Amino acid sequence: MSPATLELPAARPANGRARPPLPPPGGGDGPDREPAPPRPLLDNVCLAMLFLIAGEIMFFGGLVSAFLVLRTAAPVWPPPLQPRLPLGVTGVNTLVLLASSATMLAAVRALRRGDGVALVQRLVVTAGLGALFLLVQGYEWTRLIHHGLTLASGAYGATFYTLIGTHAAHVLGALVWLAVTTVLAARGGVLDGRTGTLRACAMYWHFVVALWPVLYLAVYLI
Amino acid sequence: MSATSAAAHAHVEHAGHHELGFVRTYIFSTDHKMISRQFLFLGLFMMILGGLLALVVRWQLAWPETPVPGLGGLLKETGGVLEPGQYNMAFTMHATIMVFFVIMPILAGSFGNFCIPLMIGARDMAFPVLNMLSFWVTASAGLIMLVGFFVPGGHAAAGWTSYAPLASVVEYSGVNWGQNIWCISLFIMGIGSMMGSINYITTIINMRAPGMKLFRMPLVVWSLFITAILLLLALPVLTSGVAMLLFDRWLGTSWFRPSGGGEPLLWQHLFWYFGHPEVYILILPAMGIASEILPVFARKPIFGYHAMAFSMIGIAFLSWIVYGHHMFVSGMNPALGMAFTVTTMIIAVPSAIKTFNWLGTLWGGRIQFTVPMLNALAFVSMFVIGGLSGIFMASTPVDIFIQDTYFIVAHIHYVVFGGSIFGAFAAIYFWFPKMFGRMTNVALGHLHFWPTFVFFNLTFFPMHIIGVGGQMRRIYNPMQYEFLQHQQHWNVVITIGALGLGISQIPFVINFFWSLFAGKKAPLNPWNSTTLEWTAPSPPPHLNWGPTLPTVYRGPYEYSSPESKEDFLPQTAPPVHAGARRH
Amino acid sequence: MLNWWLPENVSTYGKDIDWLFHLIYYITGVTFILVAVTMVAFLWVYRDRPGRRARYTHGSTPLEIAWTVVPALILVVLTLLSVPAWSKIKMTQPDTDFEVLVTAKQFNWQMTYPGADGKFGTADDKTLLDEMHVPVNKVVRVILKSQDVIHSFFVPQFRMKQDAVPGREIRQWFEATRPGKYELPCAELCGFGHSGMKGWIYVHTPDDYAKWAAENLTAEEKK
Ligand code: HEA
Ligand code: HEA
Ligand code: CUA
Ligand SMILES: [Cu+2]
Repeated sequence: MSPATLELPAARPANGRARPPLPPPGGGDGPDREPAPPRPLLDNVCLAMLFLIAGEIMFFGGLVSAFLVLRTAAPVWPPPLQPRLPLGVTGVNTLVLLASSATMLAAVRALRRGDGVALVQRLVVTAGLGALFLLVQGYEWTRLIHHGLTLASGAYGATFYTLIGTHAAHVLGALVWLAVTTVLAARGGVLDGRTGTLRACAMYWHFVVALWPVLYLAVYLI
Repeated sequence: MSATSAAAHAHVEHAGHHELGFVRTYIFSTDHKMISRQFLFLGLFMMILGGLLALVVRWQLAWPETPVPGLGGLLKETGGVLEPGQYNMAFTMHATIMVFFVIMPILAGSFGNFCIPLMIGARDMAFPVLNMLSFWVTASAGLIMLVGFFVPGGHAAAGWTSYAPLASVVEYSGVNWGQNIWCISLFIMGIGSMMGSINYITTIINMRAPGMKLFRMPLVVWSLFITAILLLLALPVLTSGVAMLLFDRWLGTSWFRPSGGGEPLLWQHLFWYFGHPEVYILILPAMGIASEILPVFARKPIFGYHAMAFSMIGIAFLSWIVYGHHMFVSGMNPALGMAFTVTTMIIAVPSAIKTFNWLGTLWGGRIQFTVPMLNALAFVSMFVIGGLSGIFMASTPVDIFIQDTYFIVAHIHYVVFGGSIFGAFAAIYFWFPKMFGRMTNVALGHLHFWPTFVFFNLTFFPMHIIGVGGQMRRIYNPMQYEFLQHQQHWNVVITIGALGLGISQIPFVINFFWSLFAGKKAPLNPWNSTTLEWTAPSPPPHLNWGPTLPTVYRGPYEYSSPESKEDFLPQTAPPVHAGARRH
Repeated sequence: MLNWWLPENVSTYGKDIDWLFHLIYYITGVTFILVAVTMVAFLWVYRDRPGRRARYTHGSTPLEIAWTVVPALILVVLTLLSVPAWSKIKMTQPDTDFEVLVTAKQFNWQMTYPGADGKFGTADDKTLLDEMHVPVNKVVRVILKSQDVIHSFFVPQFRMKQDAVPGREIRQWFEATRPGKYELPCAELCGFGHSGMKGWIYVHTPDDYAKWAAENLTAEEKK
């Protein structure tokens, strides 16, 4: 269907005026019209998500570079008398989160096949893995707080909780979005062509997952 | 079927079946033109506030510690005399409001929303609901910012740059909630602007009308495209910075507090990494607007279209690597300072290209002195003064002396008022007929322009002189310094200029509202312009064009082309030989 | 010729800054006049008159190259000319035995002299509030610190400015060329007392300085 077949929209009276006149001749899809611009490479949703992710990268870029500045300026890191970060548990947790990206890929593949049941299943698994990640993180946090590492314990605590907490907030947001999408998918609202929310959600999910190893490396490992 | 026409189709059907109620039409509208008007009203309202704050600042500087007329009721304890803390609050909020809630909403918000779909031939933005949200998020941020005036301790008072640790430790400034609100409001504003910029970029990339190639886009669309990219990438850095600032204040973190292992200069790096691209966010749309208006009223194609587009891209790239010029004497490594001088000098080159191309556009034209044209010409000449004063500061040794003096304040205002605000006025006068369907009053337009131009220079030019004389910025009372007392008369001159500048805006306000309701009905294309928005009705209805979208056959500035008897050839006019294809 | 703009200069490197200032002033002044005159001339000559048609042109590559390259060259030269002064003022530290520790705080300048032993942090340190005394024609090293927020050590007549940042120790220098009393305002917003946060720098002849030092720096120490 091309725009030429659209009906004239019922003009909303703007400033109380009558229906506007038609555009001047020559501007339409006449016989000698030029070819329309090629079909966009990426549709609006993909494009918008890519740009959203670009913005988010700058946001985390601000946080991470600020962290690195403080980290390199500190004479000893981690400062003496402060608890060490739980490398092992978090390492396993990293794998959990990475696995959720794999199940998300599977979900999108199911969507392409048009397999509604598999789609919902995979989404649920993805959400479950994401929730597990958050729970483990939360548990580790409570332990660290018990050991005396708080936001107020100097640059060490401040950077740790701000960076990891901001990421956790993003995972939580993505999780809520994923839950909504899963419900939509379970009701069959995704398969009939309106795949935008799901694809956007999947892209965002991959982003928060991909961000994590970077933070793990920066905050825990080096 | 492309996604574009599907969306349009859904809309057309929707609109065809039931009328939208008042709320959906005027308040929670998803129509880009209504959102554009909303941004415009937000910006103009805030401008009165920001301007009045500036007048308070000026009064204090000319006649220090005398009662400010009109403030007697607000400051009962002192009978209207400003206290030092309140002075700091006044200029901090003046700048914050002007930058974030006047220029950005008007140039990027309002004209971005208005021009992009109409000038690329789209029926609306790619995501109309997101667009609506972006306005309401920005407006809430503005509202939150205003709340700060009413909290105990007063509003933020650490300058619009809010340097840590003054801004990050409550005891140092004595301002508690004001500064928190400043952070929260800017955080929210950052989210709103991110929504807007994603929308702009997607729309421009994906929703152009048939034939609207990238290099047939009007330059104002180019400028808004580049602005949107800068917004998208720069504001998140500020957002992360204000989050850290807020955490330092609220949760006891020590990002910027040396006693906890933090680093005060870190804030400056974050702020200016955002802040310098930000100043180009303020100027690029105005440059685009001037590039749009000069050809129309010179009846000539823009001189060097490609150079104009590429120089804007160049400015955008370079703006990421010059930010250190705000930190020459901050204690940053002086070798870095040297590097930033080099990049800062380079960034003047694309501006030079633009300036000379604007002159080239005038050369050989048939210049019509309409009100939008006058404002655009004022933009060009005043931006040049502001830009040239930037060269003084770009030279590190000279900046040692003039940093934090009124020379900087003069620079700021020549670029933001002489540049962005004249650009905004030009745009308002130029697109008013399309936006509201009525012409503005020409006599009132002149009555606004000429006094504004004269008083603008009377206000801001002498600031160079007192700045070179050594007067620091952000001081409450210049008379406290012996070496400044001999030039105090200039402060009086400046303040009189500022009062005149304020009064000169009254004809504008009258003109705006009078024309809105009683102006002459605007024809389709009052300026005989070539771009697409002038083929839509004035004002354009929901979805902008009738059943067919315009098709574009040529670049945007075909004025006085030998191909046509008229002196303009619209982008939609098919090639002269029917059926013949252009290259 | 423009000296009525700038405050009088009394430091050794001040004249380098003033020279650059004037150079840029003339370059930008000429640029502005050229732009403004061209613009006004075009506006007059090409104003709308009946029967004329505008020239149809999309640009001119040679012209555009010219007005890209010429400003670029000017700017490169300006950059190169800025390097020596900057490295002299900020990147090198001349040798000197005269050091003053300046600690900024809301809203005062504390000037600490090392006392007879020449070391800071010892019992014979002598601290003055808001005033500094130095001999003329002598390189003075200023060690800048801050106790609370960022302040800025600004001496207009010396063309000297440097922020004092909490948590850092920043070394600067100056050499005054004329005895006198010079104002030392704080140039970075530091709170409600920023305006009026100022001190004085007294530049003495060597003899006067010796007298002052004997009375104020060493005299008390004997007690
Ligand atoms: C719209 C906003 C805007 C714009 C466009 C600019 C443009 C420029 N700015 Fe400005 N600037 C600000 C807004 C802006 N600035 C603000 C708000 C501050 C203060 C922030 C604060 O501290 O609160 C500031 C501060 C500021 C500083 C820091 C000063 C200090 O605090 O010590 C510096 C230093 O280099 C600087 C330089 C420049 C330069 C080189 C340009 C260049 O882009 C200008 C280029 C243009 C031209 C040069 C004119 C046209 C060219 C020609 C006619 C060609 C011929 C020219 C030559 C051969 C020289 N600016
Ligand atoms: C971004 C845009 C912008 C704009 C438009 C302006 C506009 C003005 N500015 Fe501002 N200014 C800044 C940005 C801006 N400024 C910034 C970034 C700073 C740095 C702050 C800092 O140091 O942190 C600054 C700082 C600043 C200072 C320095 C303060 C100090 O350092 O101590 C001064 C002093 O004169 C000043 C003055 C003015 C004046 C007189 C105007 C005039 O143009 C205003 C003219 C008045 C109006 C436009 C109001 C018109 C409306 C009316 C009169 C009402 C009409 C009546 C009805 C509708 C009923 N500004
Ligand atoms: Cu100390 Cu300003
Ligand atoms: Cu800058």
